[in-house]
This record gives sequence, structure tokens and C-alpha cells, in this order.
Amino acid sequence: MSRFRKIFNKSFVGLLLLTCLSLSHKSFAADGEALFKSMCANCHKPDKDYTGPALQGWKDRQPDGWIYKWVAAPGALIDPYASALKTKWKASGIMTAFPQLKKDEIDAIMKYVDEYKPPVVVEGPKNSNDKNTDGNSLLFGVLTLVFALIAFILLQVNSNLKKLSDEKIGVYRSEPVPFYKNKTYLMAGVIGLFALGGYFAIDGAIGLGRMQNYQPVQPIYYSHTVHAGTNQISCLYCHGTAQDSKHAGIPSVNVCMNCHKSIAKYEGPDKLEREDGTAVNGTAEIEKLYEYAGWDPIAKEYKADKNNDGVPDGAKPIQWVKIHNLPDHVYFNHSQHIKVGKQQCQTCHGNIQEMGEVYQFSTLSMGWCINCHRESKVDFFNKADSTGNKFYSIYEKFHNDIKNKKLDSVTVEKIGGTECQKCHY
Amino acid sequence: MNKIINIGLTLLAVITVSSCSNKQKPGKIYMPDMTYSRAYETYSLLDTTNFSINREDAENRRNAFFNASPVKGTVKRGELFLIEDTNDSIGYANSSKHVNPVTTFTKDELAEAGRLYNINCGVCHGEKGGGNGPIAGKIGAVANLNLPLYVSMTDGTMFHSLTYGKNNMGSYASQLDRKQRWMVINYVRTLQPKASPAKADSASVAKTK
Repeated sequence: MSRFRKIFNKSFVGLLLLTCLSLSHKSFAADGEALFKSMCANCHKPDKDYTGPALQGWKDRQPDGWIYKWVAAPGALIDPYASALKTKWKASGIMTAFPQLKKDEIDAIMKYVDEYKPPVVVEGPKNSNDKNTDGNSLLFGVLTLVFALIAFILLQVNSNLKKLSDEKIGVYRSEPVPFYKNKTYLMAGVIGLFALGGYFAIDGAIGLGRMQNYQPVQPIYYSHTVHAGTNQISCLYCHGTAQDSKHAGIPSVNVCMNCHKSIAKYEGPDKLEREDGTAVNGTAEIEKLYEYAGWDPIAKEYKADKNNDGVPDGAKPIQWVKIHNLPDHVYFNHSQHIKVGKQQCQTCHGNIQEMGEVYQFSTLSMGWCINCHRESKVDFFNKADSTGNKFYSIYEKFHNDIKNKKLDSVTVEKIGGTECQKCHY
Repeated sequence: MNKIINIGLTLLAVITVSSCSNKQKPGKIYMPDMTYSRAYETYSLLDTTNFSINREDAENRRNAFFNASPVKGTVKRGELFLIEDTNDSIGYANSSKHVNPVTTFTKDELAEAGRLYNINCGVCHGEKGGGNGPIAGKIGAVANLNLPLYVSMTDGTMFHSLTYGKNNMGSYASQLDRKQRWMVINYVRTLQPKASPAKADSASVAKTK
């Protein structure tokens, strides 16, 4: 009995030890990845040079134990290898110290680094069926024409046959009028032309001064798909003045350089294409930006300002082509709509985060403005939770009317949103 | 003969009208002087003969009204006063002594600061300050604001970094005014873990940059 107990005890302890070991091993591996991502990944990549050097192969570069000293206080290390490192990565500055990392944590991180393999990128199949819809409409057009021609020929044949049969019976018929002198055909043609001409004339007249779908070529191919879509940069990061002023400001070059100081190559997943299908080299477009900014991408600094005009030599503003243009006699204020009206940019500008090249989405016609003002509800000041727009507190009457069920809602029109002077003055 | 000419002319007119829809051209307008402002207007083209200083200037960089930096030494209405620190290591070292003037803030103001943070900072530093925003991986060396180093960093030094930029980060002086920058710093403090005195000490020793 005692022998069994001994065996049982021994095996139990052994099992416990094994479980503990395997568990701790597992948690180390997971920790390594998490620690690397939270502490190191901002500057280091396992397999590539980044802000700091690639970490793989670290073991061969320095004797064991060096890395612990380096991580704890990189500034204090003065051996030749550390000095060489500091000189080579001068542009990035000295690495942040991580004295809080313990030895086993550093081991876990380095283990993760050694085992890291870059994820395999799978390229999607090329989409070659894009143009199908266009082909279909052309086909239908041709078919319609062919059928119209057949109908016309059949009509002619019919009238000829009728004439022959009539002659056989003995009924005399005058020589048939050729179709281009036939009054019915002529009349139909004239009416058709009149309708067509009227349609185009009126359409063109309405379109005068409206620039819907206007999509000019810009000095730099700037893709909103890449910036606002894939990279999720807020519209207000660049167009911040939209919430403060009349204009949704076009960012000055320094705003672009906030990110592009570090991003010199386009490596995103989106394919850059112009409207006519020509491919765009994203990296070349970023180089154009560097020209405008007066930035030297190799030295990674702005060029010197030798002529003392306050900007790096050769730097100049980018002349973007203005797309949205309201007539001079219309006043439009972005901040009123964004900050007070709480409208989304997309309400007027369409799905801007999916536009490679920006085009004017809305007509910006008066009817289009008025229509939205008729439908949009006003967000009145709410005393209970102090939200909403205080400006219209004099309209508390409306508020009370709603409370007393005399009204169900108040449109912009009711508070003067369609007065001429709101826009024309 | 006349008839044929008439028909031909009509057809020609129809074709011309229907074919002039080029997306890259802005199109025609009724009265240009009612559409394009004769007065100063942001981003509109300068009337070179009237406004520009000299011809070469007009051709090179000033054919339109671009956003300009404020005149040196001026303070915008309602704006906090300028802190006279230089954009170099001396100014950076000096900056820690500046005290955050925005000390009391309401719930609404903090929410506004959070909104500004998410627009301007969150894209790199992450919604929670962890340095893991959507484009942090492309910029590189994005600070994890929750590290002890940044918990113990003074408001003044953060303000210096926001104003002049630091390492990979650019200046945010054009996007956030001075009060907004202090507000954002207050918001970052709410994201950070509370600093324990011991930790703060070790971090300030480890501050090497």
C-alpha cells in the first residue's frame, strides 16, 4: 500500500511540475509578443530596419547579457558597439530606457523576435470584368437601331405591296410619296428633334454655373481613399478649420509633413489609379510633396533658409485646384453646418473616403440647399442635460408647442432657413 | 438645298451641346463677375494685376490666397499668451517649468479635449494613448503615452513637444491653439495610469533623451 502511495505521490509531483513548466512556457511565449507590441514595436521590427535596427540576429552581434544592460539604460552604455549603434541611428535619437523590464521579460521578447516570420501576403485575383456594364448599354443601343431600321423597311415593303395589290384589283393609287417627303415622317422627325433639342438646351442652361462631377487634375495625386479611408485619419485632422470658420481649410504643407516626414514610400494596399485608368506611383507623388515642402528626404531635414523668407529654400504652397465654388452672391459657412448643425462631411461631399480623385458630389444648386433646410430638424437647447443649440432659445414657443402636442417637429424653414438674406446679401 | 443646310446645322448644334461635358473642366457660367469674387477671398485666385507685389512672385507662389502664418508677436483674440521658449534643446529643457494654465475644466470641456485628442493625436497615439493608432505602424517611434516616462513628464515639456514637434512628431501649433494644446494635455493625463512616486523617480532617472 505504502509503495503505491509513494509511486502515486512521485508521479503526481512530477505531473504537477510538468504542467507548471508547460504552462509557464506558454505564458512566456504569449507575453513576448504582447510585450514586444506594447514596448518595442513602435520603433523596432523583428526582420526589418525601422526607426531602430532590425532585432533578428541580435545574439550574434553581442555577447550574452549585453542586451539586459542596453535595455535598462541605453544612454549609460559606452562600450564600442553601443557607441557605434548610437552613431548609426543618430537621426532616431537614443532608445528609450525600459528599466521596468525584467530579465525573463526581455528573454521572452527576444524569443518572440527570433521566432517571428513575416505574414504571407496573398494577392487577390485581378478584376477584369469592370467594363461589362458599358458594353451592355452599347449593345442595347445598336439592337434598338437595328430593330428601328427593320421596322422602317417593313413599313415601306408593306406600303409597296398594298399598292401592288390595289392595282391588281383595279383601284387606282397615286405614285407613293418618298419617305423624306412624307408629312407624317417629317412631322415625327421634327417633333423628335424639337424634344431632343429642348431637353439638351434646358439641361445645359440649368447646368450653367453648376459643376457637379467636376474632377480636375490636381498638382499632386492625393487619394482620400488612402488617407481618410484605409488609414482612418479624421477629416478634421487636415480640414480642421471647417469647425471654426467659413472655409474647410486646405491643409498647409506642414500638416502633410506631420506624417510624411516618416512616410516616404507608398506601400498601402489600395491601388492608386486616375479616373482614366492610368496607374499612379504613390512614392513619386510623395516626392512631389517634398519638393513643395522644401524637405530633404535623404538627410531627413528641411533645407536651409538662406534667403531668409521664413520657409526652407524652394518651398512653396501647393496650388490645389478649387473644386467646390459657390457664386460670389451666396454665403456659405462650414462651421455653422459642422459645429452647430452637426452635419457629416459626407452629407454634401459624398463618400469622400472612397474617392481617389475628388469630384463634386452634389449640385450645390439652390434647390439642393433649400431641400435640406426644409427637411433638417433643429437641435434645440435642452435645459435638462444642457445639450443642443442655445442660439434658438427665443424659439421656446416652438418647443412648448411640441410639448403641448400642437406641433410634431420644427423644420429649418420655420426658423428662417429659407429667407433670401440667409444666403444672398 | 436650304433645307439640308438647316437640318445639318441643327444636328451640328445638338451634337456640340451634348458633347461638351468634360469632367476635368469646370464648365461655363452665366456671369463671371457674380460667380468669382472681386474681393479678397481665401483660396481664390489673386487678380495678379491688382494684388500681387511683383510678377515673379505671382508666378512662383502667390497666385492665390493661401493660409499664412500669423504675424510675429501678435496674439489672436481670446488666445493665451505666447510662451517664449526656443525650438531647441535649451528650450526643451527649460519647458518643464511652465505650468498648465488650464487647471479647472468642466465635463464638457474635457469631452471637447477628448474630441480634439481623437482627431489630432489618436490617429498615432491611439484612442487610449497606447501608441497603437491606425497609422502608428507606418510612422514608427510613436510614443506609448502610458509609459512611466510620459506619466512623469511635466505638462510644460509636453506643451513644448506639441508646439514644436519632437522626433517623428510634427508641430501641432497650426492645428491646435495654445488653450487647446493645454486641454489635450489634461485629457492625456486622464488616460494615463496614476503615477506612483517610486515609479516616477526611476523614470526620471532613465530619461535619456
